[in-house]
Amino acid sequence: MAYKTKPARTDVVIIGAGASGAAAAKVLCEAGVKVVALEKGPWRKKESFGGDELANINRYNLWPDPILNPRTWRETADDDARSEMFCPVPQMVGGGTVHWQGWLPRFTENDFRLRTVAGDLPGTSLADWPITYDELEPYYLKVEWAFGVSGQPGANKFESRRSGGYPCPPMPISRYAQKFIKGCDALGWNAFPTPQAALSRPFNGRKATVVSAFAQQHGDPTGTRSSALNVFIPDAVATGNFELRPDCVVRELTLDSEGNIKAAIYQDADGDTIEQEADLFILACGAMETARLMLLSKSGRFPNGVANGSDMVGRNVTFHEYSAAVGTYDDPVYAWAGGGYVSASTFQHYEHDASRGFVSGGHIAVAGVGIPLPINWRMPGTPSWGAEAKKNDRDHFSHSLAIAMVLHDMPQHENRIDLDETVVDAWGLPVARVTLKPHRNDVDQGRYLIDRGADILEASGALTIRRVYADRVTGNCSHQHGTARMGDDGATSVLNRWCRAHEVENLYAVDGSPFPTGTGANPTLTIMANAWRVADKIIAERGAAV
Amino acid sequence: MSDTFFNPHQRATVEAAMARIIPTDDTPGAREAGCVDFVDRYLSGIGYIFAKPDGSGFEVLEGASAKAWMQRIEIMRERYVAGLLDLDARAHERFSADFVALAPQQQDDILHELEQAGTGAPRTLAVNDALAGPVSPQPALQQTSTEVDLDFLPLMVTHTRQGYYADPIYGGNRNRIGWEVIGFPGPASLKDVHIGRYTTLQYFAEGEADKVREFHDGL
Repeated sequence: MAYKTKPARTDVVIIGAGASGAAAAKVLCEAGVKVVALEKGPWRKKESFGGDELANINRYNLWPDPILNPRTWRETADDDARSEMFCPVPQMVGGGTVHWQGWLPRFTENDFRLRTVAGDLPGTSLADWPITYDELEPYYLKVEWAFGVSGQPGANKFESRRSGGYPCPPMPISRYAQKFIKGCDALGWNAFPTPQAALSRPFNGRKATVVSAFAQQHGDPTGTRSSALNVFIPDAVATGNFELRPDCVVRELTLDSEGNIKAAIYQDADGDTIEQEADLFILACGAMETARLMLLSKSGRFPNGVANGSDMVGRNVTFHEYSAAVGTYDDPVYAWAGGGYVSASTFQHYEHDASRGFVSGGHIAVAGVGIPLPINWRMPGTPSWGAEAKKNDRDHFSHSLAIAMVLHDMPQHENRIDLDETVVDAWGLPVARVTLKPHRNDVDQGRYLIDRGADILEASGALTIRRVYADRVTGNCSHQHGTARMGDDGATSVLNRWCRAHEVENLYAVDGSPFPTGTGANPTLTIMANAWRVADKIIAERGAAV
Repeated sequence: MSDTFFNPHQRATVEAAMARIIPTDDTPGAREAGCVDFVDRYLSGIGYIFAKPDGSGFEVLEGASAKAWMQRIEIMRERYVAGLLDLDARAHERFSADFVALAPQQQDDILHELEQAGTGAPRTLAVNDALAGPVSPQPALQQTSTEVDLDFLPLMVTHTRQGYYADPIYGGNRNRIGWEVIGFPGPASLKDVHIGRYTTLQYFAEGEADKVREFHDGL
């Protein structure tokens, strides 16, 4: 087909300018590589964000609009898929880091070898990672310092080896974190300040956070939160080697006669179709959209999607589930202060322990209940309207908190992303269809973690405790992984240990898609560290002139 | 563009229903907070979807986003029009009067009847009943609700809560009534958040704000 314009060929095209794309762009550009980033969504300035729960949470100011960007979900291949906002992530420059509160724990050593640690779990495709914690460790530190993270080294006694501290001390202690710490202390469990992407002190020319109540799920107008939008993107821009094209929707990747990627075909904001050639292509759209784009890129060589000879693209998807035990207290805990996620965690139930009867565990942390208001919150199991509902709002707003968990859901071969057969997005492209059935392990582990949250509530003197069990993975968390597994064997994985496609020499993916397991911790720090590692490898292999 | 949608009878009916959803007791309720103004303006078109983040007015929607929003507003308008007719029909059937003319207890009976009639559950994903959202049997902590998937009563409940607690710029939460009732020390205006003048540090643990005072002007 004829394209309207043909921009100059470049060294590297990165598709997606969120956490992973921005990290890769920064590292490559600083080494002198010319990068063009194609981002589906807008390039918003920090001034476009505000403390407006209605706009940000209810009206898709940050979330993808489900009319324009639908998704479908079904439990098994025998069910009809229905439209759901499954695992949404803001689609814009900065991606999920635009609206996060930014919990940034590291994974632990055993996360990279869970199959070895826990053994075979029937019904899952549990696999060790092809890389180790030690290989990633230097990159964890690089990201923590380049990005700006507040934390306390050594405070998490289950953390694996660190080669350095954090650039900023931990955030101040909230009253609700105090309850969490008190409960953990009483139980003899280790609590630590959650590492956060908010600056507790001025750092790298950026001010300390003002600790507004509008944080989690709100964009940050002040620039004091560390995000891809206000750190890594400006770093890349400053090199002069970076061109970021927002509002450009990539429709497919085309192949040359050698079987390498030739170009990204995209539609720009004017609706024109454009072909961008490069030596090398990096997918960074998030695990779901990366898989979707690979599946959309069909050719004679790859009839089922690019680099998908193994039929593994989109499979083994994992999502996490976020739920909590909720407690109420006599004294005020103000669990909306600072946005409700500042800042205490425990990894006491993170590592695998065979005596529990299920595999692995997860991150448990203190959280607020509203975001921050009761617009999108009411106490579980209470009426939604009337005198009692009003009384509950009044009584609980400053007197309740949640102890939340990050569920380490197990990868399964049949849990996958593919293309929906009937639903298309605003660009006419088939949308991602999620097929996802929880494993018994997910349910058991989820219940266990919620019960441990309840233990903390009880030990900290909560008056009432309500457990909200997660009996399926609802996609209520923005974490997504596994759709283009990395591994040493091309029959059972899509990417090699350097996140390069086994079947296509110039195609990489650096978001959550390479992760063989989702782990029980928030993934973005590891996503960025891994993207940095891969970018370093690309530079080492090809030199600055790729 | 007009900034109302309801006719006077519809408006009075919505106001009466909202006054049962967040009633007035020893503290002000939906009526005093102007929740009906909030929803009337919301349904008037697409002129009041996103406040400008500095509080200086509202964004003008364009293109695909404008179309998507108009589609959503149309769906919700239809749901209100039909729902309000149903409310009056039930009121006449049981008490031989319009909903708005009933005693509060009778209005509650009608709303409960509506609930029993099975118009309660959202049809697809919504948010967690438990941790983030209006009414859903499923736990889910972090998603936004999909309003167009809600039936009439849960939709009106959602809009009442939004009107009571959202920033006053949207026409509800008059004089910050909703915030005062629950004790939320909200910002003086969106502008305060926008320029970084709004902090909640004083609600942290004893002495914690002092530790970081040097990094905060005006704390």
